[in-house]
Amino acid sequence: MKNKKQKINYSLAHTKYLKRLKKDKFIVLFWQIFVFVAFVGLWELLAYTEAIDPFFYSSPSRIIRTIGELASSGELWINIWTSLYETILGFLLATALGFVIAVLLWWSEKLRKVLEPYIIVLNSLPKIALGPMIILWVGSGPKATVLMCVLICIIITVISLLNAFISCDQDKILLMKSMHANKFQILFKLIIPNALPDLFSVLKINVGMSWVGTIMGEYLSSKAGLGYLINYGTQMLKLDIVMTSIVLLCILAAGMYLCVSPLEKRYKKQIT
Amino acid sequence: MDKFLEFKDVSYFYQTKKSEVQALKDVNFTIEEKEFASLVGPSGCGKTTLLSLTAGLITPSSGEILLQGQPIKKNDSRIGYMFQRDHLFEWRTIWQNITLGLELQKKKKEQKSLDFAEELLKKYDLYNFKNKKPRHLSGGMRQRVALIRTLVLEPALLLLDEPFSALDFQTRLKVCDDVYEIIKKEEKTALLVTHDISEALSMSDKVVILTARPASTKKTVNLSFAGTTPLAKREDENFGKHFEMIWRNLT
Repeated sequence: MKNKKQKINYSLAHTKYLKRLKKDKFIVLFWQIFVFVAFVGLWELLAYTEAIDPFFYSSPSRIIRTIGELASSGELWINIWTSLYETILGFLLATALGFVIAVLLWWSEKLRKVLEPYIIVLNSLPKIALGPMIILWVGSGPKATVLMCVLICIIITVISLLNAFISCDQDKILLMKSMHANKFQILFKLIIPNALPDLFSVLKINVGMSWVGTIMGEYLSSKAGLGYLINYGTQMLKLDIVMTSIVLLCILAAGMYLCVSPLEKRYKKQIT
Repeated sequence: MDKFLEFKDVSYFYQTKKSEVQALKDVNFTIEEKEFASLVGPSGCGKTTLLSLTAGLITPSSGEILLQGQPIKKNDSRIGYMFQRDHLFEWRTIWQNITLGLELQKKKKEQKSLDFAEELLKKYDLYNFKNKKPRHLSGGMRQRVALIRTLVLEPALLLLDEPFSALDFQTRLKVCDDVYEIIKKEEKTALLVTHDISEALSMSDKVVILTARPASTKKTVNLSFAGTTPLAKREDENFGKHFEMIWRNLT
């Protein structure tokens, strides 16, 4: 009898607890939506009443109108597509190359020591300074943008991954050696799987960095892309176009992030 | 008496930027087959160096180490090494963890080895966890998996480097019993390195006491307590006496 009562009490408390969890989640979601709606609404209101000058600050309705105009003239898709493929290409190239370089530096301690000061200098160097040279080397257009993108992402990729590789527990390496693992086996069966969580955070960082690279590259010289659109809008004082491009950028970057983060979730699910 | 493992006047120096440090000085001891021996010594005396030497990870500066009459080679396959922490790979299942050694040595297709691995899992109550990931196991179970991972390769000599130090005291006594039972059942020769005197006493047939750095063998004590498990041995009336004697020898 007593036991039964206890069980009921417990489950009651548990339902209460679950309810509270659900409520908390709802509250967070509510406020997230509220902030968005309030921001858009306030922006529209201020622009509508001309408390802020819509010529300089645009407004949600003007942005929607601009998107419509750009879409019907076909400019929208060309610019989105250009930026998107430059970013994805830069992202993939930088991540892949960075991974290979990090593996090579892990493999040879000598190489690592020799290259260390150069990596530090390259990391501290603002890559944008190379912009004019890049255009002279590979010409303007998508090639230059992708190269910019790669330059911005690659160093941080190499540094983060190399740190992850090196920080592997020495005893684990010793364990592998005591079971006669060769260096390839240590790399593929220990070092890389062990560094996967870091690889995912590198991917997430690179999503942001590759967009920085692409927009910078397009600012420097380009005939299409969202960066080009921003530049063009500024020069023509068509600030609606500038704002519209920024909004589109937000959506694209968030979309790319959402493509990467399920990979991590799937991995986390797999190891549990 | 059979000399299974023999240390003959083993000395070891290692180099630092400032000087040359002697870690071991004329270490001499022997272990018989199927014997469980422990090495105890003041902290920092060079126990780990001794283990690395036995595992063939480093070679002595002078003297010799013989296993089954043969000098120990680099990465000698007769040696199994068990670490302070279990070092199970979180991304592998229990089965993939214990067959790691077979995989590395390209023996994953040898049915005999696979059968042996399976048999060990069954014998030591881990078969139900075969396809689980390590994080589902308790600290004690993980340490058992780590031991099985070593045993699958059928080493002649097991080296245990404070394999219980990462566990809490309750678990520690239990795992101590488990590991002892497995080692005795599989009839392995084992060399345990520890700073815990009672652990050394409760598990071993023989305790080798080392001096402070540079370590040399101070005394070898043969033990025979009543009781078949480490926990039972702790209750032997002579346990305390031996404890005190070893403790005095260490300080």
